[in-house]
Amino acid sequence: MSVQTILAVALLTLVGLIAGIAIFVVNRLLPKEDESLQKASEIKEYLPGADCGACGHPGCFAYAQAAAKDSEVVVKTPCRLLAKDKEGTKRLGEYLGFDIDTTQIGQKAVVHCTGDSPVIGAYSGITTCGAAVQVGGGFKECPYACLGFGDCAAVCPADAITIDAVRQVAVVDWEKCIGCGMCVKTCPRSLIELIPADMPQYLGCNYLAAKDVAQRKKCSVGCIHCRLCVKASEHDEVTWNDEKDLPFFDPEKKMVAAAAIEKCPRSIILKTPAFPEGIDTVAEAAPTQEKEQATG
Amino acid sequence: MSELAAIFFGMALVNNMVLSKFLGLCPFFGVSKNLKSAFSMGVAVLLVMFVASAVTWPLFHVLLVPYGAGYMRTVIFILVIASLVQIIEMTIKRTNLTLYNALGIYLPLITTNCAVLGITFINIDSAYTFPQSIAAALGAGLGFTLVLVIMSGIRERLDLADTPKAFRGAPIAFITAMFLGLAFLAFGGMVG
Repeated sequence: MSVQTILAVALLTLVGLIAGIAIFVVNRLLPKEDESLQKASEIKEYLPGADCGACGHPGCFAYAQAAAKDSEVVVKTPCRLLAKDKEGTKRLGEYLGFDIDTTQIGQKAVVHCTGDSPVIGAYSGITTCGAAVQVGGGFKECPYACLGFGDCAAVCPADAITIDAVRQVAVVDWEKCIGCGMCVKTCPRSLIELIPADMPQYLGCNYLAAKDVAQRKKCSVGCIHCRLCVKASEHDEVTWNDEKDLPFFDPEKKMVAAAAIEKCPRSIILKTPAFPEGIDTVAEAAPTQEKEQATG
Repeated sequence: MSELAAIFFGMALVNNMVLSKFLGLCPFFGVSKNLKSAFSMGVAVLLVMFVASAVTWPLFHVLLVPYGAGYMRTVIFILVIASLVQIIEMTIKRTNLTLYNALGIYLPLITTNCAVLGITFINIDSAYTFPQSIAAALGAGLGFTLVLVIMSGIRERLDLADTPKAFRGAPIAFITAMFLGLAFLAFGGMVG
């Protein structure tokens, strides 16, 4: 072995050794890692790690840091993505030392519009809903219609929202939806709402009476406030929301309004995936009993 | 003094790390999607470049040159820079959590950043003295931050623009980078 080789090996070893010792010394001299940080990195192991920000914290690690300081955070602002995974939620609960009730946090988004409102003029500006509503209040006849540029689809961390190209309306896939509410915040027309995951139906229209200028007639699928749904419901499955002037399904009771769905002349009371199977006709519907089936 | 200033501005604008030396291109495209993280990344690189230059220059001239082992600079510098970044990250994490959240997450990315290794080699190859190499490192770090911030600003605006579908995302970013490079070409010949 030449001197040069030995020198090279010795130099590299020396520098490596010095670097190693330096790290060791610094490690010893510095104050101990903040305990909450240690706990936070442990909590992070239980989180999905998608950094979607739906909980209101900038990323999973920030959420873990908040949870490390105050473990109530996981109940107050639950991780929606984790709530889908019952086992994972249970494990996080076990780690933090209390039970997390997953049924409380199961929510899904619905779009209160089915499209089909006529277009009143060509719009060729920036292709986002947020920009389109700025121009003359949107390019659709109905001031509450979905504009279909998919601002909601763009923010969805679970890719659960698609745009129906024919009707130009956002459609939520409940299988994928994690109920984070990002779309609710984004929609400039406030068309999207979070409802309990076991609600059997919702209304595909959001026409508020405040702006009623007989435009409901211009939309072929707008609520015409005929109240047939209210009349058809024997057990108050559907009540009338006077404030919005729209039918109202009580999210507390979660009753199946099969008769109302049948009666609606515009067919805009839409079944959710939670709608119990095998109920098609008015005769078969027995709301008070079905209620338990729906919630249970 | 004017010579140091010339090196500083030369490294920041004329011989810009990203646009004329083509170093540090991965963070240039990877971390330039929003202004805030681009700025944090830039500052982290600036910090590491400064410390790395301050350590590798004496190391090269005191340890490697006298023993005729200059050819070993690549492996030695990588080793030293990696340990330095480790120490800096550890220090920030233990002493200032707010700073760590803003800056610390980018530090492990920089361990193997070519711009940091590049500036240490440039210092050696240009036969800079110690103050000169510090000026060069600060200039290079500032130039890197500047370009990253400009790029992220443009990309934030581009997200809102009506870009043809085929150009959305990376393609338009590359085109933007080209124009940015052309703009910086105008600095050529001003200093150094």
